[in-house]
Amino acid sequence: MKKIEAIVKPFKLDDIKEALNEIGIQGMTISEVKGYGRQKGHKEIYRGAEYVVDFIPKIKIELVVDTAIADQVVEKIRQAANTGKIGDGKIFVFPVEEAIRVRTGETGVDAI
Amino acid sequence: MENPFNQITRMLKQKKERLISTFPTMQPAVFLKQHAGILDDYFRESFEHSMVGPKMALYKNPYAIIALGGYGREEQCIHSDVDILFLFQKEVPKAAAGLIQEIIYPLWDLGFEVGYATRTLKECIRMSRKDPIVLTPILDARFICGMSILFSNLLDTLRQKILARQSQKIITWLVDQSRERHLRFGDSTYLLEPNLKEGQGGLRDYHTMLWIGRIKLNIRQPRDLEYFGYLSHEEYRSTRKALSFIWDVRNRLHLESGKKSDQLYFENQIQLAETLHFKKRSGQQAVERFLGELHANMDFMKQQFLMFLSEHGYANTYRKKNRYRLSVHVEGLALNRDKLDFVSSEHVLNNPALLVQIFEESARLKTPLSGQAKRIVIEFRHLIDNEVRTSPPVLKAFETILREPAFTIDALGEMLDSGCLLSLIPELKGIVNRIQYDEYHVYPVDKHSLRTVQTVRAFGTDQDRSGCPFCGNVWKGLKNQKRLLWAALLHDIGKGSPEKNHAKTGAGIARKIMSAFGYSVQDVETVSFLVEQHLLLMKTATRRDIHDEETAITCARIIKKVSRLQMLFLLTVADAVSTGKNAWSDWTMALLRDLFLKVMNILRKGELASRHAVQTIEKKQDAILASAKTPDERSRLALTFNIMSPRYVLTMPTAGILEDIALYQNMNDREFVWHISRDETAGTRIVRICAKDRPGLFSKIAGTLTLNSLDILDAQIFTWRNNIALDIFTLKPPPDKIFENERWAIAERNLTSALSGDLDLASQLKKKMKAISTIKPRASKRPHKVNIDNESSSFFTIIEVFTYDFPGLLFAITDAIYQANLDIWVAKISTNIDQVVDVFYVRDVHGQKVDSEEQVVSIEEAIYQRLPNII
Repeated sequence: MKKIEAIVKPFKLDDIKEALNEIGIQGMTISEVKGYGRQKGHKEIYRGAEYVVDFIPKIKIELVVDTAIADQVVEKIRQAANTGKIGDGKIFVFPVEEAIRVRTGETGVDAI
Repeated sequence: MENPFNQITRMLKQKKERLISTFPTMQPAVFLKQHAGILDDYFRESFEHSMVGPKMALYKNPYAIIALGGYGREEQCIHSDVDILFLFQKEVPKAAAGLIQEIIYPLWDLGFEVGYATRTLKECIRMSRKDPIVLTPILDARFICGMSILFSNLLDTLRQKILARQSQKIITWLVDQSRERHLRFGDSTYLLEPNLKEGQGGLRDYHTMLWIGRIKLNIRQPRDLEYFGYLSHEEYRSTRKALSFIWDVRNRLHLESGKKSDQLYFENQIQLAETLHFKKRSGQQAVERFLGELHANMDFMKQQFLMFLSEHGYANTYRKKNRYRLSVHVEGLALNRDKLDFVSSEHVLNNPALLVQIFEESARLKTPLSGQAKRIVIEFRHLIDNEVRTSPPVLKAFETILREPAFTIDALGEMLDSGCLLSLIPELKGIVNRIQYDEYHVYPVDKHSLRTVQTVRAFGTDQDRSGCPFCGNVWKGLKNQKRLLWAALLHDIGKGSPEKNHAKTGAGIARKIMSAFGYSVQDVETVSFLVEQHLLLMKTATRRDIHDEETAITCARIIKKVSRLQMLFLLTVADAVSTGKNAWSDWTMALLRDLFLKVMNILRKGELASRHAVQTIEKKQDAILASAKTPDERSRLALTFNIMSPRYVLTMPTAGILEDIALYQNMNDREFVWHISRDETAGTRIVRICAKDRPGLFSKIAGTLTLNSLDILDAQIFTWRNNIALDIFTLKPPPDKIFENERWAIAERNLTSALSGDLDLASQLKKKMKAISTIKPRASKRPHKVNIDNESSSFFTIIEVFTYDFPGLLFAITDAIYQANLDIWVAKISTNIDQVVDVFYVRDVHGQKVDSEEQVVSIEEAIYQRLPNII
């Protein structure tokens, strides 16, 4: 099993959900996060005062999938999140040791 | 012989089953009473047939069975607790345990939740004095069987020893409890999943009213609330109606969930709406209509309860230090023991404007209305007709009510609760108690609208709910706050109609309302605009790429004016803040504020989004589409038009756009295509280049032209949204006119090799410059100037270069920009005799502005270095 974690632009969330739906992935965890990478913050001026936008709002998507389809999932996310511009985000893949469904005690791929 | 208890228990079980089977046809209050009645039967029979009882020396130590709490009030819901007291005169005998086993255990076996106590009279009094939690159920005590004198002793002693001496203390405790309970259960989750007992307007509010009545005036039955003048006849009737509905819901909830449960969870709501026969109507789901009615009833209970508390002097205290300074400014109103009153109901009849003005005074003086005044408002609100509605004092009063912050007194909320707001703006009817069945919309639409108004006027105060001081700054800078407040009140008014697009429908309704009130055209149009577009910014911020200039331009074109943008921004924030905690976070705020600032910048600059700009673009679009000969071509043109950048469309004449489209369609897979034409009058050459954008493209073209002795007079470059660059150069005629075409052919080859990297332009140009002439230092009074502007655009750093023309100038500057790793997105190069003004819109390779100080300085230096020295 792999855990896939993607940090993407907020407006891309629906596209990504849809893309993952197409390959039968329905469950994922979404959080609203802020941060910056290469796309650093910027300044805006309003009524003479400077407003620094230092952390940029992003969406973090997390999901755990069977290793067999991990590459496919990553590629789907990458395509859907891509605008060709700075700040499109990053995708990380981690190995997952075990998954357990709390209700039934099922483990492994059955639990995801 | 069969144990008599088996028989009694069987009877109880049968009676309960029979009762529940008739339940759907029965008045809820009757059901509750009958339910208590079958329990009474059980206890009486048990008492009579008890085998333990006779062994307890009853003649020395008699006992009574007494019903407490809800059972005492004969308000026994299906799975409510059965509270029972075994009251002994002198002491609790050891055999009492056997009595409990005999009488109570069978009830548990039947699934009743029984709470019992065995106490002596003395213990009862001692415990009640110590702990009000013990006392309150005893306030509802009802004798069932046994020694009745014990029961009257209990009540008498209770009254003499506790109620008579500590009534204030107990009532204060009750009021504090209610307040705490309201705070706890008033929380948003409980609004979505209301608690029928503990929630605001739940049954506990009614119990508390009864208890206070019992403590103060020894009332015996609920109706006494009316007989003793606590409630008017009408209020008592409505209270019973509301109670009846709540009981009905609670009973069915018990029945369906099979347990004692007072919290109406999401999973129960749809089913209950169905069993209560709610139907889908005018775009509202059955469950939404059910929750709406439940909400209305609980809200009514809450109002009655708060009014009850306030009339008995237990309302929140509004003590003000300078109270003596208060004076009422409106004739017909008076202050009466710190509350606002009408002087008489005749005054209201003669001047119905008072019905609104009393709320104005309430807001201004931060003083509540008296209970009597509220009753008068409710009774006479029908007097508010069209004439009253549009009279200047009423409008002025209402504007004050809208504006006045509501930290201590919520006059607007009071107006809504009393129905006065609805009389003033009948169009609100559709949204009163309108529920949206989801986890997102916590409040009914009317309450949400009022919260939005409150959020707006609290911007910048210490009660600011946005958590963002920026909103306060925008709010304080608003010239016309009134319009925003109206828009806040009316923004969701379209939700009352079955039409899908509530913003659009609402805009129409808002326009009607504002016109009817006699507001100016600007007021009407602005409010209507705000209502129509109140979702625009939030949708754009969360669903579009706000780092794309086009996004900000699109918003700016819809919004058109700075003041409208400010209002729309604040409305968006207030709307989200007032929706519920799922709708608002500093994450959302960050997106929204960023979008706001970017749109603001576009509107301030004006060039891309002004009314004139929008018209120009529309005209050009029409002209271009009109040039199509077939529908196919037309749709192809429309597609291409959509990828052009707004700056390009604005600047380029229609003919030029058509030429560029032709070039673009010819491009296929080539790196670039160009077209050369002559301007016969000026003798200049115009080169239009359409190329795949890449870093350094502009400098390479400029360098190639210079290398071929083609002097650049003017240049404009644009980048379309699909990364196609359009560069238009105006050149001096080539020195060698005879072989001009050959010259162009060489230039084209040069550019191809320069782009592929086969031609080193910089060194070639160096050689060429040496051959022609060296760049001479020049004498001038005015130095070169390089200006880097990061303020005018949210999306680009703008470099302006003022200098003197010399061969290779443009290549020098653009190459410096390229070497600094910047991309040129837009450029305007103009030469006036030998004075040159070059403007470049640039971003770094990551698509960002270059706004750190070091970057700015190093770009300036890089460009200065390439300019000739001035002596």
